[in-house]
Formats: sequence, C-alpha cells, structure tokens
Amino acid sequence: MSSELLTAAAGDDPAEGLRAVRSLRVLADRLEALHVERARRLGWPWQHIADALGVTRQAVHKKYGKRYP
Amino acid sequence: MFERFTRDARVAVEQAQTVARRLGADHIGSEHVLLGTVAHGDAVAHRALARVGVEPATLERAVRAQSTDTLDAEALAGLGIDLDAVREQVEATFGAGALDAPAPGGRRGHLPFDADAKKLLEVSLREALRLKHRRIDTGHLLLAAARLDTAGSGRALLAAGVDRDAVERAVQATWADAA
Repeated sequence: MSSELLTAAAGDDPAEGLRAVRSLRVLADRLEALHVERARRLGWPWQHIADALGVTRQAVHKKYGKRYP
Repeated sequence: MFERFTRDARVAVEQAQTVARRLGADHIGSEHVLLGTVAHGDAVAHRALARVGVEPATLERAVRAQSTDTLDAEALAGLGIDLDAVREQVEATFGAGALDAPAPGGRRGHLPFDADAKKLLEVSLREALRLKHRRIDTGHLLLAAARLDTAGSGRALLAAGVDRDAVERAVQATWADAA
C-alpha cells in the first residue's frame, strides 16, 4: 500500500489528504482499543502495553485505565 | 440554571444523553444537544426547523457525517486500504462487529457534557436574557445551537442548509404563532 499511501497522504489536494489521515487515525484508535482490551484480559501489565505501543505507562493508563482496569 | 428551563427544554437536554449513546459517542457534544432539542414534535425547535424544511433525520445524517469517529471506507480505499479486509481480520480475532462497535467496553452511567455542549446551555440562557424571556424553551436551545457555528451543532445546521439568521427567523416566527 505504500505508494498509494504516499499518493493520497501527500497528494496535492489538502482536503483529500486530511480526510485520509483522519480515517487512518480512527482506524488506528479502534485497533488500539481492541488490542489494549485484549492484552488487559490476558493479564498484561500496563508497562508491557505501553512498551509495545512506544508510549509511557502513564499515557496508556490515562487513556484506558478506567475502561479496562 | 435548569430551574428556568421549560419541561420540553429539560426533556431535550436529557434526550441528548440518549442520542449521544445511540451514536456511539463517549461524551455529550453540542450536536447531541441539538438532536435532543429537535426530537420532540410539539417543541418549538422542532416546529421552527419544520418551517425551514429541515427534518430531524436530515440533521442526524449531518451529525453522523461530521463525526470524527466514523470509519471512512472510501478515504481508506484511497490509501489502498481495504476496510472490508481489515474488518474480516479483526472480526476473526475479536468477534463479529468488533471494529464497528463505537467504544469497546465503553462508558457506563452518565456521559459527560463536553465544553461545547456546556457552552450551548450557557448561550441559551444568554439568548433568553437578550430577548427578555423568563423561561428557556427549545427555541432558545436551537438559537444557541446555531450561534455556535464552529461547534458540532452549528456545523450540522449549516450542513442541513440553515444558517444562524434562518434559524433565528424560524424560531421567532414559531414563537409568534404560539403567542
């Protein structure tokens, strides 16, 4: 997908490019939530999830701590 | 501030909660208050919008279209991502509908009002003061929804083809009819 991704995300129409970026973000957020929930159910500590996502433990806990305690 | 609200206006604000939940939001935005406000057939807001030919269903479509939380298959296809293929793979691991469930394991209990929704309620009070009205009804809520033209409520109204002035005229005419 990389060449097409570059075409749309770096295309000359800002509206198209921004819409594409927004959709990617929504998709990434949904996938992240699903995987975090599953990891928590499998007993993963927040630190492991944070490491896998490349963010701090605080960041991931703040975002999901209430939802998937 | 709710003591000044008419019964319809209170119902509208309560309804915003139901609408937000139905649309899969994790908070109540100004657009959900707007949809709650126009939901009831007898209320001023509903009649005012009917005057300018806007149905609640049209507004709801506008709100859905501007939702930041919608998976846009077409935009993703433009990137070479086949959303159906992604969905199939996700469902194999997480079960049917997993990708489209708005907030997996989402919030229970009351959804919070966001800043725009609170602002809408404040502005409705200000509209009532400006017009020297003692009570706040769904007409004031609709005026406030239109005034917040950069918030979800105002953008949904604009997308449905009515601007602030058109809304104000329609609400005033509806009040005049009822008087």
